[in-house]
Amino acid sequence: MPKRTTPSIERPERTQVLWLTLLLLAAYVPLAPHLAWQISAFVALLFALRIAAIRWPALIPGAWGLVVLTLIGVANALSTYEGWSGQSAGAALFVSMLVLKLMELRRKEDLRLATTLIGFLAVVQFLFDQSPWLAVYLGAVAVAGLALLVDLNGGLGDTPGRAAMGIAVRVSVQAIPLTLVLFLLFPRLSAPLWHLGTDPRKGTTGISDTLEPGAISELVLNGELAFRVRFETPPPDANQLYWRGPVLWQTDGRRWSAGAEAMAAGPAGALQDASRPIRYELTLEPTDQRWLFALDRPVSVPEGAFLTPDHRLLARHPISTPRRYRMLSALRYRTALPDRAGREAGLQIPDNVTHRMRRLAEDWRSQADNDWDLVELGLRFFNREAFHYTLLAPRLGPNPADEFLFETRRGFCEHYASSFAILMRLAGIPSRVVLGYLGGEPNPVGGYHMVWQSDAHAWVEVLIEDRGWVRVDPTAAVDPSRVDNGSASRMLGSGASVRFTLEQNDAIARLARNLRLLADSLDAAWQDWVLGFSMEDQLSLLKWLRLGGAREYGLAALLLVAFSLTLSIVLLVSLRDRPRVDPLEAEYARLCRRLARVGLERRPNEGPWNYGSRVRAQRPDLAPTVDRFLRLYVPARYGRGCDPEIHRALMSLVRGFRPGVDKGARPDC
Amino acid sequence: MWRSSSPKALSSLFRRVPRGLNGVARVGRRQVYILPTRSGLSFAAVLLVMLLGSLNFQNNLGLLFTFFLASVGLVAMHHTWFNLLGISIRVRGGPPVFAGGEASFDVVIGSDGQRTRFDIRVPARRVSQQSIAVPGGDQRTIRVGLPAARRGLQALDELTVETRYPLHLFRAWCYAETDATTLVYPKPAEQAPEPDRAAGDNQRCALQGRLGTDDYLGPRAYRNGDSPRQIDWKAFARERGLVVKQFGGEEGEDVWIDWSKVTAPDAEARISLLTRQLLDAGEARARFGLRLPGIEEGLGRGRAHLQRCLARLALYDHAQANDPLDRAS
Repeated sequence: MPKRTTPSIERPERTQVLWLTLLLLAAYVPLAPHLAWQISAFVALLFALRIAAIRWPALIPGAWGLVVLTLIGVANALSTYEGWSGQSAGAALFVSMLVLKLMELRRKEDLRLATTLIGFLAVVQFLFDQSPWLAVYLGAVAVAGLALLVDLNGGLGDTPGRAAMGIAVRVSVQAIPLTLVLFLLFPRLSAPLWHLGTDPRKGTTGISDTLEPGAISELVLNGELAFRVRFETPPPDANQLYWRGPVLWQTDGRRWSAGAEAMAAGPAGALQDASRPIRYELTLEPTDQRWLFALDRPVSVPEGAFLTPDHRLLARHPISTPRRYRMLSALRYRTALPDRAGREAGLQIPDNVTHRMRRLAEDWRSQADNDWDLVELGLRFFNREAFHYTLLAPRLGPNPADEFLFETRRGFCEHYASSFAILMRLAGIPSRVVLGYLGGEPNPVGGYHMVWQSDAHAWVEVLIEDRGWVRVDPTAAVDPSRVDNGSASRMLGSGASVRFTLEQNDAIARLARNLRLLADSLDAAWQDWVLGFSMEDQLSLLKWLRLGGAREYGLAALLLVAFSLTLSIVLLVSLRDRPRVDPLEAEYARLCRRLARVGLERRPNEGPWNYGSRVRAQRPDLAPTVDRFLRLYVPARYGRGCDPEIHRALMSLVRGFRPGVDKGARPDC
Repeated sequence: MWRSSSPKALSSLFRRVPRGLNGVARVGRRQVYILPTRSGLSFAAVLLVMLLGSLNFQNNLGLLFTFFLASVGLVAMHHTWFNLLGISIRVRGGPPVFAGGEASFDVVIGSDGQRTRFDIRVPARRVSQQSIAVPGGDQRTIRVGLPAARRGLQALDELTVETRYPLHLFRAWCYAETDATTLVYPKPAEQAPEPDRAAGDNQRCALQGRLGTDDYLGPRAYRNGDSPRQIDWKAFARERGLVVKQFGGEEGEDVWIDWSKVTAPDAEARISLLTRQLLDAGEARARFGLRLPGIEEGLGRGRAHLQRCLARLALYDHAQANDPLDRAS
């Protein structure tokens, strides 16, 4: 291929190359923690090379060098992520190639393309992080990128840098109303069209679908939010807020798991005597799991989810973005009795049950009149004996239930729930372990409850013959004097938790807490109005505009109308070029209008002096003002140029000038 | 990509910006054309990918960002269009050039409103493109070059004014009518025979013509084109009218450059030879005159006289054997 010469106007300047490099660096930095270090190493190498090449242009690799670098970049991304699939792998590959483009900036066109792709890089990042800070930061990067585009286009006069920044900001501000209209009304997809493959996510915290000793006590140390709840009916007491998640049927004595039986889809047994349902809206943080948390027993089922026979709510797809759903729940109810298979699943006993566990269960059975009596005996056992409730549970060996019940007696909710459920099964009462959250911290600023990972909890449900499945929380039976508040407040901070009494006397701690509440309210608003805005919200907006019947078509029509209207307003307000009017001339024109109102119109052929003398002749009473005006106006307008002092004087003269109609002599014109 | 390859037949369909009575063309609404540039198309393609990706992953923040950039593009498109709307275009011919050189034209772009018009370009084939900003209420000049192939009046019938302000995503342009002309002198021959002397002997001329002393020769009445330096201002102050002081070395060294005294295969070659003779005579600071069939430019001296003679040659129509300048006056 013959080498084409680049015309000088198309050759990028050094500062523009530097500007692009810094922008790309700024856009990459927040993405770096989400990608493997090998990717950042490659990217850093290229950035270093680029910046050095601004000083020593010979460092830019030639065509073969570029090929080699490209191969290295692709191989690096592929070997790090072992394939193409997954968002991280895709992002890594894209970033490597985009930064590689920095090596090939011969024409301004190359810089323009790279700048445009920075926008794509921003959108890629939102797959990893959707915090408002990142949005603001990348928004600023985008405006700076626009300024670079303006500067690349050139023709900006004497101060191109400042002009470019000003133009970019102006265009951005004008684009904001249109952006909002599009965001509000652009139709959304209700289900994804394709998947980029599963991304092995690290660091997504939350309740898992198995329970082992230490699982929850580890989880509660995580300070993250699990979900927010906005109650529409008066909220129940904090110790009634049991948010049900996975239900575990099967155990090998150490580890509890869901069990095949529970996963079998089937109609959920209807609740009986469910009274006074609680109405609320829940915004779940992404968990990458399918279950949706609900207060105790869900009565309604949100869209895109279903109810299992053991009253778990399952979504059809894993929750990878914040999910908002409205729910109805019952706190008082009676579940239907399970069939034979369900009863047997609740009685399955692990192999490693010890003799003293069996004896304890048989002992309770012989003392109790009925099943509920037996449950209460079990609870009393936890209360009477020296059981301690603590985050710092000792490590347990191969048979944790036995060890916990008879030796260590120090544990967290998973120890209590697990061993209590096994004891109940030994005594012949079907039981299962339920994972979820307990409580919720009211946020008076935002008017909702926050449920944190530190509220994670495990409890037991037992089958009582005439009542169905009944919730039993063995942890609550522990004597309050044996709750280890000290270590909890040391490890959890001052977060409100139902189970511990944490100290909050410190003024600074209270202030910190209030600030945290405020920050969380802002975050919640961000979640609700930006991240969680969905098709449903659009349709309810439509309904509010009384266009609800038209659904998607109404939305499209509304989008068109609102968009064109907004665009016209923006254009009218900000883009019209106004004629340049001399400020002095404007004052003179106003004077002429005032005089015309009393019948002394200026004739087209009259200059200021001629006009003035005619006015003087016809209306001597107006002469002083008009004379003073003209004596100031004429020299300033046709002589020395505009002096702000004179302009102000003329303005005040005209403003005070209200000629009345002369009743005596009508003007002869 | 649409710039250079629009064929004549197609381009005749476009509306022109008409010239006003004062020679100023003002760009109106219906004369501004706009299309996306290559950068604009790639911007749109990237936005489309962003939109599909954000919709698919139900990523509202990504959507918000995509919509922002799309709105910016749309607003920018209107900026591009409005940037050209209402500007005034006036074209002036440049100084005369010799054929084979480059005829230049001054395009004066004015912005009457308050807004500065950024990135105004007048694409031309030869001159490297230049992009200017015209502040509100002001005007700026772009010089455009056009290859001058033939002698005579080189006209710039039409001119494209374009802009890609602000983001280079769209190109707006308009075609403006002009009647600007630049005078193209004939291309001088490499060499020409010595013209005849009207008086005096050649020897003396050859000796002294090179010396070129600045002796005062005497007064002469002012003629258009005389340098103000040569005007006798003292005489003017004494109210004797405009009188030019003539300087020059050689007395009686009058050269007639004559059509009939030159032999050449055709008229253009003859004109080319005459041009060379004129230039030589001008350089030698001789008094010279020009005789063409039907036209005579009397004896004279100096740049203005030389230019007058060159203009005669540039516009000389041999077929009709008359002079357009005369016909015009």
